[in-house]
Amino acid sequence: MSNIQTNTSVNWEIGPIFRAMLRNKVGAILIALQIAITMTIIVNSVYIIVERSKEMQRDSGIDNKNSFSLTSVGFAENFNAAVTVEEDLNTLRNLPGIVDAIQINAIPNSGSGWSMGLKTQSGVEHDAVGTAVYMVDEHGINALDVEIIAGENFAPTDIGLREVGQVKWPNKTILTKAMAENLFPEIPYSSVVGKTVYINDIDPMIVIGIIDKLQAPWVGWNNLENVMLSPERMDYKGSRYFIRTEPSQRDSVMKQVEELLANSNKGRLIQGMRSIEETRERSYRGHTAMIKILTTVMVILTIVTALGIVGLASFSVNQRKKQIGTRRALGASQSAIVRYFMLENFLISTIGVVFGAALTIALNILLVNTFGLDRIDWFYIPIGMVVLWLVGQGAVFGPAKKAANIPPALATRTV
Amino acid sequence: MFGYYIKLALKSVKRNPILSLLMVTAIALGIGACMTTITVNYLMSADPIPHKSQQLFHIQVDSWDPNNAYSDDADSLPNQLTWTDATNFTLAKKALRQSAMGMSGGIIEPAGDDAKPFEASIRLAYTDFFPMFDVPFIYGTAWDSQSDTDREQVVVLSKRTNESVFGGENSVGKTIVIDGRNFQIVGVIDDWQPMPKFYDVNNGGFNETEQLFMPFSLKEELELPNWGNNNCWKSPDGEGYKAFLQSECINTQMWVELPNDLAKAEYMDYLNNYVMEQKKLGRFPRPLNNRLSNVMEWMASQEVVEEDAKMMMWLSFMFLLVCLLNTIGLLLAKFTGKSSEIGLRLAVGASKADLFKQHLLETALIGVMGGIAGILLALVGLQGIKSLYGDFVDDLASLDLSMILVALSIALLSSILAGLYPTWRACNIAPASQLKSQ
Amino acid sequence: MLKMTDVKKVFRTDLVETQALRDFNLHVGEGDFVAVTGPSGSGKTTFLNIAGLLETFSGGKYELDGQDVSNLNDKKRSQLRNEKIGFIFQSFNLIPDLNLFDNVDVPLRYRGFNSAERKKRIENSLEMVGLAQRMKHLPSQLSGGQQQRVAIARALAGEPRFLLADEPTGNLDTQMANSVMDLLKNINDAGTTIIMVTHDGELASQARRNIYVRDGKVSEVNNADISSPAQLSAV
Repeated sequence: MSNIQTNTSVNWEIGPIFRAMLRNKVGAILIALQIAITMTIIVNSVYIIVERSKEMQRDSGIDNKNSFSLTSVGFAENFNAAVTVEEDLNTLRNLPGIVDAIQINAIPNSGSGWSMGLKTQSGVEHDAVGTAVYMVDEHGINALDVEIIAGENFAPTDIGLREVGQVKWPNKTILTKAMAENLFPEIPYSSVVGKTVYINDIDPMIVIGIIDKLQAPWVGWNNLENVMLSPERMDYKGSRYFIRTEPSQRDSVMKQVEELLANSNKGRLIQGMRSIEETRERSYRGHTAMIKILTTVMVILTIVTALGIVGLASFSVNQRKKQIGTRRALGASQSAIVRYFMLENFLISTIGVVFGAALTIALNILLVNTFGLDRIDWFYIPIGMVVLWLVGQGAVFGPAKKAANIPPALATRTV
Repeated sequence: MFGYYIKLALKSVKRNPILSLLMVTAIALGIGACMTTITVNYLMSADPIPHKSQQLFHIQVDSWDPNNAYSDDADSLPNQLTWTDATNFTLAKKALRQSAMGMSGGIIEPAGDDAKPFEASIRLAYTDFFPMFDVPFIYGTAWDSQSDTDREQVVVLSKRTNESVFGGENSVGKTIVIDGRNFQIVGVIDDWQPMPKFYDVNNGGFNETEQLFMPFSLKEELELPNWGNNNCWKSPDGEGYKAFLQSECINTQMWVELPNDLAKAEYMDYLNNYVMEQKKLGRFPRPLNNRLSNVMEWMASQEVVEEDAKMMMWLSFMFLLVCLLNTIGLLLAKFTGKSSEIGLRLAVGASKADLFKQHLLETALIGVMGGIAGILLALVGLQGIKSLYGDFVDDLASLDLSMILVALSIALLSSILAGLYPTWRACNIAPASQLKSQ
Repeated sequence: MLKMTDVKKVFRTDLVETQALRDFNLHVGEGDFVAVTGPSGSGKTTFLNIAGLLETFSGGKYELDGQDVSNLNDKKRSQLRNEKIGFIFQSFNLIPDLNLFDNVDVPLRYRGFNSAERKKRIENSLEMVGLAQRMKHLPSQLSGGQQQRVAIARALAGEPRFLLADEPTGNLDTQMANSVMDLLKNINDAGTTIIMVTHDGELASQARRNIYVRDGKVSEVNNADISSPAQLSAV
């Protein structure tokens, strides 16, 4: 181990340091273990944070910034839902600042909505592909800010009126590209236009169009982009509106709309006025919280570990004052002393991060098996190792500097 | 002697203030993190109705699709009942108490011109709901079973609803307008927030208790909207609300009170017979599979505790471990620094046991200080959880006395554990070797 | 070899100014063996520290092996210490966590020798002090006299121009002290210049030359002969 030395002025004392360390195993093991566990927590936390952020950054398909939604609930005895919706939509669509407005059964990313199963063949015995359902009229495409990439939009004459408890479905539908590909994996999505799919096991619907992307209401759902549009308005007492505004006009429009609708019909209640950004923030609140908590944990943990290293290193410098003075007397320059402590820490950290790499993978496997997390990408491990190395080196630098300042004359002092 | 050790310990803590502070901080951080996550997990998995949780059972019957089990697991059961079955079970009165229940909502129009209408959530249930779950009343009582049968428009208000509509006065006997209909108030309940909200976890295990309670039979009578989860494996036979209610869609919860194992066995027989009868009518196409789960079994099977909370608890334990390793290292440093003092004490006749006690007490002192600081940090941590997750965790993020005791014991235990090795090592020094080097 | 001219050393604190050395003059020639004695507080140790480049001085001139060392930086001074000076301390100053081999290795590492060269030198010098067989032992497993021998081996392994010994027998009993002293004399006879600080007059009398330090100044006492050791050839 020590026989790697050639005739250079920089002298790496790996062998002696290592042998000396073996005489003080406990301190070294404590630091190595701390580094290992810290690395395990940090790397897994970073991984979880990155995964969650990726989820939050997925494209919802709608115009998050400029859209909002609200609910209108009728309670008066003479409340006429269908008429109210017609009036409301007329008012909203003509309001300056609004791009388009629709009645819709569920708001994307909001957490609650409808799902159905679609089949490519009729009959209970065939498997269905689950999909979120959005009931919209012919303004749906524009209001949701999605693009028809094959086929066509609903025509005004396609739009039906859904009654409470209705079982029947319209005979046309528009699917997302993802849904089309899930139903017909063998053919390009554009060829899905014109195909018949079956809802309720046997009721046929013809696919008349494909849209690029739209997310379901449930952000935690595996098939988040499985979405179908159904050409309907709803004759329900409670009715949701989805409104897209001109850029940067959302907030002012929201205020205006709330007053306008509340005053236009006293037999109903306007509530749940919420921007899509807020809706998404609520749906991802758990993610946001987890990210913040894990970040805090990582920062505190790194500080604790670093302080632990500083503490133990300062202590060991104090313990070895005489030895350091002697080394100085025997010809060690100040930088050689700094190098000594840095190298010592590097060796301990190396043991720590190697053990840490194993622990990190073990914890990840545990998380995969228990909580269904994904496997960690390999490159997190070397990055984690380097970071912990740097933390160790950074922490030990102060005490090492202090050690270097120990005067060589200390060697001749008797006590 | 104990007092003397305490004095020595305090002195030693003061002699190395930075080292001591580091140790106390490390323990405090570890304890704080653990207590925060343990508290959240503890409250999420708490028994919401301890004195009765063994006698209350949630009913599951397999009314699902002949071709597919309810979920990926072939043995899985639907987590709710159809309206038909829940109603039949309740009306059969085979248990001590029973209630089908569901969620709905309506708009309350308070009297007075300036009062604004507001939307309220409704728990639909039978009269047994109240005594079965020991719901406390401020005014009045539950409706009687005749009201269930006769589908009377009666209502029980939550305390909050009574406050916002009637200013908190005794409103029993008054009328309240909900969705344009008049309802007779029969009772007002006190604050009642089971945590978790065990009776309907699939609509949110930590949601607030509903604002209104009404007879379940009114769902059919008034065609009340179905709030909460509704799941269908086949579409209703026919159009309209009646067809929806009578469909195979599941949207209803059902709880029964069975005081002992015999009652439970009898009830299980009843369920099995019921399903066999229904099979003759062409329903229940899947193999016979019914289940009665008591409160805690039900919480566990529905995985009420959030996975994130569990994950954080694991991580916090690892965090504590790092903090303890830290403390061991620092104690080792500190006690080695004291080796001359230890040598001196040994030389003047202290026994190793004396020294061991003295130093263990010193670590315990550090542990207690760390524990106390840790509890304060846990309070901060729980405030943080509240601000991050919003209102719904309000009741999940509070420390009670038992948790504080747990925190202190963990702090004490872990710090003493951390102190064992350094103490042992410090006390195993030959007295001579220490005196000589001076 | 070593030439100090009017070397001054002043220690300053906020309150007092202490003159540890005042106009200290000394010339030590090649091959000399100088014993420095004096009462405690006289400046012996300060002299030793300055001579060994462990401390800087406040004024005057110090030439070591023909080189003026007054204004050298730390790196240069460390290098000089390493190459030209061997130290022997009163309490041996062996590094407790290192075995004898690694202890002797310490200055050689800083010298930048390759490993074969270091191995050869370590073995030779341990051989010379009679401890070659105990190379893998820890200092704590040796007696005081043996420890000091290891320290001497460490000081000599780099073949320094001169040896600075600070009370080399101060922590040893008489028998061990004598054997260490014999060893030093052998080394001196082999050509290494030695400066030894001691408070022990008897020991000092065995040196070629005695210097008496008082109040930071030199008053020289010329010494009698020293007996020529028999086993000169061993070095």
